[in-house]
Amino acid sequence: MKKPLFGAALHTGTAARLLAVLAAMLTLMGNAQALQLEDLQQRFAQQPVVRAHFDQLRTISGIARPLHSAGELLIARQNGLWWQQQQPFTLTLILNDSRMVQITGNQPPEVITAEGNPQMFRFNHLLRALFQADRAVLEQNFTLQFTDRGQDNWQLILIPKASPLDKLFSAITLTGQTYLEHIQLDDKQGDRTAITFSQQRTEPKFLSHDEQQRFIQ
Amino acid sequence: MTNNSVLFSKFYLRCAAAWLAICLGLLLTLAVMLPRTHINSSVLALLPRQAMGPVAPEIYDGFMQRLDRQLVWMVSPAPGQGLQPVTDWAQRLATVSGMGAVKGPMTDAQQRQWGEFYFQHRNAMLDAATRARLSQGGDAQADWIMTQLYSAFAGVGGGELRHDPLLLMRGSQIALQQSAGRLTLENGWLMSRDAQGRQWYLLHGELAASSYDMRSAHRVVTQLATLQRQLEARWPGTQVLSRGTLFYSDRAGQQAKHDLSTLGLATVIGVLLLVGLVFRSLLPLACCALSVAVGALAGTVACLLLFGELHLMTLVMSISIVGISADYTLYYLTERLVHGRQNSPMASLRKVLPALLAALATTVAAYLIMVLAPFPGLRQLAVFAATGLSAACLTVICWYPLLVRRLPVRPVPALPVIRAWLTAWRHRKSVRYGIPLAMMLFIISGLMQLRVSDDIAELQAMPQDIHRQEQQITLLSGQGLDQKWFVVTGDNEEQTLQRMERLAPALAEAQGKGWLREYRLPPLASLARQNQDRVLLAQAAPTVIARLRAVGVDTVTPDLNPMTVTPAAWRESVVSEGWRLLWLSLPGGQSAVLIPVSGVTHSQALNHLAQTQPGVGWVDRKTDFDRLFAAYRHKLGALLLVSLAAIALSFIARQGWRQGLLSLAPTVLSLGAGLSALAWGGHALNLFSMLALVLVMGIGINYSLFFANPRGTPTTSMLAVTLAVMTTSLTLGMLVFSHTQAISSFGMVLCSGIFAAYILSPLALPTAQGNDL
Repeated sequence: MKKPLFGAALHTGTAARLLAVLAAMLTLMGNAQALQLEDLQQRFAQQPVVRAHFDQLRTISGIARPLHSAGELLIARQNGLWWQQQQPFTLTLILNDSRMVQITGNQPPEVITAEGNPQMFRFNHLLRALFQADRAVLEQNFTLQFTDRGQDNWQLILIPKASPLDKLFSAITLTGQTYLEHIQLDDKQGDRTAITFSQQRTEPKFLSHDEQQRFIQ
Repeated sequence: MTNNSVLFSKFYLRCAAAWLAICLGLLLTLAVMLPRTHINSSVLALLPRQAMGPVAPEIYDGFMQRLDRQLVWMVSPAPGQGLQPVTDWAQRLATVSGMGAVKGPMTDAQQRQWGEFYFQHRNAMLDAATRARLSQGGDAQADWIMTQLYSAFAGVGGGELRHDPLLLMRGSQIALQQSAGRLTLENGWLMSRDAQGRQWYLLHGELAASSYDMRSAHRVVTQLATLQRQLEARWPGTQVLSRGTLFYSDRAGQQAKHDLSTLGLATVIGVLLLVGLVFRSLLPLACCALSVAVGALAGTVACLLLFGELHLMTLVMSISIVGISADYTLYYLTERLVHGRQNSPMASLRKVLPALLAALATTVAAYLIMVLAPFPGLRQLAVFAATGLSAACLTVICWYPLLVRRLPVRPVPALPVIRAWLTAWRHRKSVRYGIPLAMMLFIISGLMQLRVSDDIAELQAMPQDIHRQEQQITLLSGQGLDQKWFVVTGDNEEQTLQRMERLAPALAEAQGKGWLREYRLPPLASLARQNQDRVLLAQAAPTVIARLRAVGVDTVTPDLNPMTVTPAAWRESVVSEGWRLLWLSLPGGQSAVLIPVSGVTHSQALNHLAQTQPGVGWVDRKTDFDRLFAAYRHKLGALLLVSLAAIALSFIARQGWRQGLLSLAPTVLSLGAGLSALAWGGHALNLFSMLALVLVMGIGINYSLFFANPRGTPTTSMLAVTLAVMTTSLTLGMLVFSHTQAISSFGMVLCSGIFAAYILSPLALPTAQGNDL
């Protein structure tokens, strides 16, 4: 196996954390008006709720056609992240500061708490740093390259520099205009995942009753 | 020697020579055994074997000795120091003599080996979650594989799919990571973060097996303290936490040593002064030392022969034997001191012999009753006391008539006082009835406030600094020293593993019921389970492959060959790191696995659970202790009553109803007085105070029998008993000042008990021949 121990072990739990990081960035980039990372970060504070649709394409070496999946996500500063893949099968992830729940098909929910397994919550401080627009913490984990591509288009390339992220990804590229529109993850092994966001909605700024229920598991 | 042949019969001289030969033999045996002697200082070793349920003593001992050798450190470098203080500490640890292996970081090569072992044995090392999915059929496993495959961050690549399309290795690694507790792997080191975000790196060390005795343990602790100071000076701000049984046992050992050296000095000076003043000769002291030394020699050899080891507690208690066997010497020497002019040494011996033998027989019987108590420490003590006392008594009988011919003869010191005291006991009702009545009042008032406690924690004051570090490490690592385990045993490794697998569902159920928070099962399957798993894999594989094909993964074929893992191969590999400690194999093929359990809320239910499973034992050291301390305190109390009854019978049989009961009265009252003093002193009754009562009984018997001896002279007996009680107070009484709670309450009961026995002993004086004072 060429995968290092913790590469192999980076499972959905850790992944969900990363997902949350990126979801947070999605919020962060929302409504970007000025093309400075700091400006984008400041704007984030005014976005308590973001809803979006996503399409994901995973290209794996040795597999003839890319794997396509799609679903909805919801980020609320008070409640955390709700990420639901709806196609080709249903997979729901609910994450907040203290616990993570994953529901696959009709399997019983898998719950991991920060107290019971802090390792699974390694990236939480990173997530929180993002919520607090803490560029310093972001820079501890990644080398940042922010590019203004004109006409409100921007690109942020994150090169992981700390273990175990650097063992998994060679680069994470975010691009957007008013909102974050695209994330591309380049694996160390040459595989690639592209996530495209659409139908971003920031209004209403509070959760409906139905949306609140999604976080209760 | 012509003089001797006149004074002593040939038979007697032969006896003396034979005893000399025996003593030399004992000395030789000790010299041979001493280098291999194991002095056990763990209080836990005082526990009865039964505490382990069906677990064999070799396994219990094997595990406990191994666990007691483990040391854990957590090092937190100050910000900006990087990992250097951690590697520095690892290097320093390696220089400690007596330290076995010190586990540093896991190298890249080791991490690779780890991955390779799991990959090469993936079909045989399924985790519980994967097994559960497979047993539902291929679809459940396929569903899970799909979630991994579609996840942007799980990182399933083409390579992994080709080599391990069932993602078995991924499953086992996730399971391992979930059981890792609070520790993460950071640059090869196990690391945890505290609430303030500081990083703590874990290091593990094991003491070399041969170096686990008190002196070298202290050497190791001292070296570690020095190294820690050096490290903290070299890396300011770096913090080190330590944990291990070693630190507790060393602290206890040092305390005991300190107690013994200070109290021992007081004892020696006191006894020296007392004997010197009374006898005006150092010969009695030499005699006392000789009989005591012979007694200790015989006791030690007997314990080593019978038990293969000596407990530190037994050694401490053997001070009591020192005190008691000196009684015999003093009784004979007092006889010589007073009547040395009228009687020959042999005549004196004949005069005291009935009392000596009766006292010895009764005391030895009283001690031997303790052999019935299934506490290893008590049994050692019983054997030590019985053999030691017999040997000391034989020394008095066989040698002292030969040795005492130079002893100065002088009248009884303070004779008028003694005579007045004894006359008062005979003729003054206020003394004869008043003192026992007053004693009874004291006893009743004390007994009414007597508190009983079997809490082991009260016996040993927890050293706060050591305890605090232990708690911090438990918090940081998530791995506690709960001292609670299931022990699974089997006739061979396969049986052990199969039993463990049968236990596993019961553990999960217990966890569901909240009886325990966590348990750690070694990730190794029996051969039977490995075969079952392979059947499951073969059944599930076609479905999984079909599902993978459906999404375009069409070039993969899982390898379904057996990838058998034997326990031996597992133990030798890098993947059993951290688990090996919990696995024990005996030369006979018997083996055992320790399953640590934490967060126990219902120890009794877990104990019951263990009893329903073959070859499974539940070990909860603290609770076992408390429960068994209570049980055996009761048992010892009952034994005490039984031996009292036996003594009463023997007294009545030899002395008749009236005199027999009168001889018994001082003993009974002294027991009550011991308890009462304990209560007034604010201590609770526990096993150790009960133990002291057994000794009080033995000593009380001595005093009564010295007085009841029809051939004896009462004033001489009184002098002998006075000297005896003073020496005993100087030896055993010193234990009151011990810093170890268990020993000091022992000393308190003993001291007050023997003092009461001393005050009341003239009660046993035969009234018939009343004029011979």
